[in-house]
Amino acid sequence: MCGECGCGDDKIVPVDVHERLLAGNDRVAQHNREHFREHGIVSINLMGSPGAGKTLVLEATARALGRDAKLGVLAGDLATDHDAARIRAAGIVAESITTGTACHLDADMVHHGLHHLPWQTLDYLFIENVGNLVCPAIYDLGQDANVVALSVTEGEDKPLKYPTMFRKADLVLVTKVDLLPALDVDVPAIEANLKQVMLAPAMLMISAKTGKGIDRWIQWLRGVGRPRSAACATGMGLDA
Amino acid sequence: MHEYSLVQAMFEQIDRVARTHGAQAVRRIRVRIGEYAGVDPTLFQSAYEVYRIGTPCADAALQIERVPAAEDLMLDQIELEVP
Repeated sequence: MCGECGCGDDKIVPVDVHERLLAGNDRVAQHNREHFREHGIVSINLMGSPGAGKTLVLEATARALGRDAKLGVLAGDLATDHDAARIRAAGIVAESITTGTACHLDADMVHHGLHHLPWQTLDYLFIENVGNLVCPAIYDLGQDANVVALSVTEGEDKPLKYPTMFRKADLVLVTKVDLLPALDVDVPAIEANLKQVMLAPAMLMISAKTGKGIDRWIQWLRGVGRPRSAACATGMGLDA
Repeated sequence: MHEYSLVQAMFEQIDRVARTHGAQAVRRIRVRIGEYAGVDPTLFQSAYEVYRIGTPCADAALQIERVPAAEDLMLDQIELEVP
């Protein structure tokens, strides 16, 4: 039986598996994706550090796009319903996915979370991932696009320190740009670092507090799932 | 620390394969982890050492092949002990 290693043990059988370690998650993610496609829903996996401003971005998105399109949010957190409550107060449907000790969302948690939302009626589903620049990056949830919120207060080198997170981001929202006058942060260095690690560099400078750049974010969202113009696909929106 | 979740997912995959072969135990596990997979091979090994106790993989050697500049995250091969 064991003709490979020469150990001579005929009770050892080598079996080639050749399956991704995340194959189980990938299957559920594909199932979610089919649900979203069937109902014409654009789904966004919004990731970023704790405190990067993910929830505030969603509140601003609700104000800017909530009249024209039906938006919904699944908000992942280790504990509390705070984020979902804030988003509901901004006028859109939102549910929490409480992960307990888990540092990320997986496709199964999203699938279960959908049962608590009128998800079939949505135009956009935002999945606010657990605040973390490491673990959420490797789990496919069935989303159309990965968006990472990176606040200017986090400094220039986060893209280099957490390359897996930024590598496959379709867009990086550089948030809290209203704080730039008070900070010694080098914005061109953020851009250069993102270009170094992102497969398809794209970033927008926004302030969810003042509304700066939110129009361009909404414009970007309207293009998800549609062929992008060359200018949009490579546009590093450095117009701070 | 998603390495712990990944090790548990790997055990589920291995259990499925082992059952279809009527295996009694697992002797060896070969996985491939790419540099861009977002998984730390050392943490993966540590998680494996913790979780393998009491499973069919309790005495199995874990071999991790590290692949530079790749996103691979694969369970390549297992060696099963059959009756």
